[in-house]
Amino acid sequence: MNRISEHPILGETEKGQLVTFFMDDKMMEGYAGEPIAVALKAAGLMVHRYTHKAHEPRGIFCAIGRCTDCVMIVDGVPNIRTCITPLVAGMKVQTQDGVTALEVNK
Amino acid sequence: MKRYDLIVVGAGPSGLSAAIEAARCGMSVAVFDENAKPGGQLFKQIHKFFGSKEHQAKIRGFKIGETLLAEADEAGVEVFLNATVAGIYLDKEVLVQIGAAMEHFKADTIIIATGAAENMITFDGWTLPGVIGAGAAQTMMNLYGIKPGQRVLMLGSGNVGLVVSFQLMQAGCEVVALVDAAPKVGGYGVHAAKIARCGVPFYLSHTITKAEGSDCVSGVEISQVDEDFIPIPGTQKHFDVDTICLAVGLSPMSQLLKMAGCNMVDDPRRGGQVPQVDENGETSIPGLFAAGDVSGIEEASSAMIKGRMSGLAAAAYLGFLNEQDKDNRLADLEVALDSLHQGMFAPGSKGKTFAKTDEGIAVSQSLLKKGYLDDADIERFIHRPDQTIKNSGIHPVIECTQNIPCNPCQDACTRGCIKVGKTITALPRIDAANSCTGCGMCIASCSGQAIFLVDEDYAPGYASITLPYEFLPRPQKGELGTALSRSGQPLGHAEIIDVRNAKAFDQTTLVTIKVPVEQAMTARFYQPKTNAAGQSGKKEIRQ
Ligand SMILES: Cc1cc2nc3c(=O)[nH]c(=O)nc-3n(C[C@H](O)[C@H](O)[C@H](O)COP(=O)(O)OP(=O)(O)OC[C@H]3O[C@@H](n4cnc5c(N)ncnc54)[C@H](O)[C@@H]3O)c2cc1C
Ligand code: SF4
Ligand code: SF4
Ligand code: FES
Repeated sequence: MNRISEHPILGETEKGQLVTFFMDDKMMEGYAGEPIAVALKAAGLMVHRYTHKAHEPRGIFCAIGRCTDCVMIVDGVPNIRTCITPLVAGMKVQTQDGVTALEVNK
Repeated sequence: MKRYDLIVVGAGPSGLSAAIEAARCGMSVAVFDENAKPGGQLFKQIHKFFGSKEHQAKIRGFKIGETLLAEADEAGVEVFLNATVAGIYLDKEVLVQIGAAMEHFKADTIIIATGAAENMITFDGWTLPGVIGAGAAQTMMNLYGIKPGQRVLMLGSGNVGLVVSFQLMQAGCEVVALVDAAPKVGGYGVHAAKIARCGVPFYLSHTITKAEGSDCVSGVEISQVDEDFIPIPGTQKHFDVDTICLAVGLSPMSQLLKMAGCNMVDDPRRGGQVPQVDENGETSIPGLFAAGDVSGIEEASSAMIKGRMSGLAAAAYLGFLNEQDKDNRLADLEVALDSLHQGMFAPGSKGKTFAKTDEGIAVSQSLLKKGYLDDADIERFIHRPDQTIKNSGIHPVIECTQNIPCNPCQDACTRGCIKVGKTITALPRIDAANSCTGCGMCIASCSGQAIFLVDEDYAPGYASITLPYEFLPRPQKGELGTALSRSGQPLGHAEIIDVRNAKAFDQTTLVTIKVPVEQAMTARFYQPKTNAAGQSGKKEIRQ
């Protein structure tokens, strides 16, 4: 519902191939090559990480790789700026808690 | 280490323009940009530009970007993407991070065109997910085809805030309010009027006092502010929103220039810390130039001219262009730049208030406070002494009331119905001596969507109004909807009697509605039954 299927000026957005990836313990869909953050936004996910000390939520803020609010753990590597990192099929994305992965209640 | 005649940092409109001019003079040019795609801010800008023909007026920003890229390619410019310039050293050497690798490059001249970063302001809850920059909103919706949110509150009434609000509605989001702490709208009145007629309320002298929500934004509280911008207790208003968009100004990203040792100055008129430059952008270090937003926040049109100027100056510095050619070409560019630097929004006019237009007409206070012209303004501007206007047969009505550098309306009308004259900041004037054919080119060419065609004689008791429409779904002939006033208030039923799409209109649909003749000068927008502009359908028709 967050995707713009058709735009009055830009027409249809060009998309890569529809692929699946993992978000914490869930399987999700997105288009290969789009920023990870865009695929997450399409699914309505808002919180990308929690800050280390105060445990405050953070999400997309600048969308151009400058503010680091959107960093997550991607394929085991923390602090990846998801707004400028392209989505690849089968990626493992995790909510970051401080510098480690958030415990997900199974 | 690779060597070039010129290294340009930043592939935005100014950097690309500089590179093109230099390469055309025969220089070897490398451009570095940190993004995966070149173009800087241009590809996010989907509206038609202001200015005149030489500034590519009436062309949409992203199309201008495409042209620049093709020109750069043709001129033999090498563009390195995902390439962040991390350092700049003596002897014009730069350190570039390309992917994971760090590489050194050297040149005989360098042009810094790194653009600007968005300013932020803080309030309770400002770090919550759902609070985003206006640039982020543009990036999400115009580059990646995703809505930043469903219900959005915009803070900032400068051109960025106004333009992005309109774009949000085009993307299908609802804009619940436009808020600014200043007592008047900062951007162009024509941009404000486009969103006001969609029904977006303006709250000037207001600011955000709280973003509400626990894990992400679920609402926002705004309050009125006093003359010192302090919130007044008891004036809070609440809106249910999932997104708060901040458009509170830009600051030059001048760190590299500082690092290089250029003389810097603090100039609030240019947006903050900027390098000391001469008229061609040369800094205190010979052969090192700055162009575009990094040396003073303006807009893309002037960034391109300034880029061209420093590209030519760099070419002359290395002897790729003789002094006389340089002087001639720079003189032309200066004229083009100068025409953009006129009028009420010129860099030199910052902070000034204008009581009257250059024509001596009192400016609209309603436009500055609420975003739309009121009835008295219309009377004053439409029936001004230098303009005769018909009230029968099809004729244009122009609601462009500020002195801005813009004239595509004049070029659009081959019949000579619209005159701006030599000074492009003059208000467009209708010449009723020439008869209008109703072709609609003026509507489609107007960057501010401020031109309407009115025919008081459409049918007994009914007038027709043709207006620009850039939302989906495109209305269909025969459809029944609601006519909206300049403030977005419902006036009554409107029937669509014509819908025109043409290649020359460049994605602007011309919609003609039939309304009671009394509404000929009040109905200015159309709202379908199923709401296209994304604004909530709570406006019931009260008749
Ligand atoms: C949100 C927003 C909306 C705007 N809307 C409009 C509008 O509607 N109309 C209008 O005329 N103007 C608008 N502007 C202003 C206009 O976009 C700018 O004036 C214009 O883009 C300036 O061009 P530039 O080339 O100086 O900078 P930019 O277009 O910003 O380009 C600079 C480029 O340099 C890159 N860069 C920065 N640092 C480095 C580095 N160290 N290494 C490598 N690359 C780097 C940046 O990523 C960017 O790609 C808007 C600006 C913003 C931010
Ligand atoms: S509709 Fe055509 S003829 Fe009439 S004013 Fe506009 S451009 Fe001129
Ligand atoms: S009426 Fe003319 S000058 Fe005014 S915004 Fe439209 S095109 Fe520009
Ligand atoms: S949102 Fe700012 S770095 Fe990703």
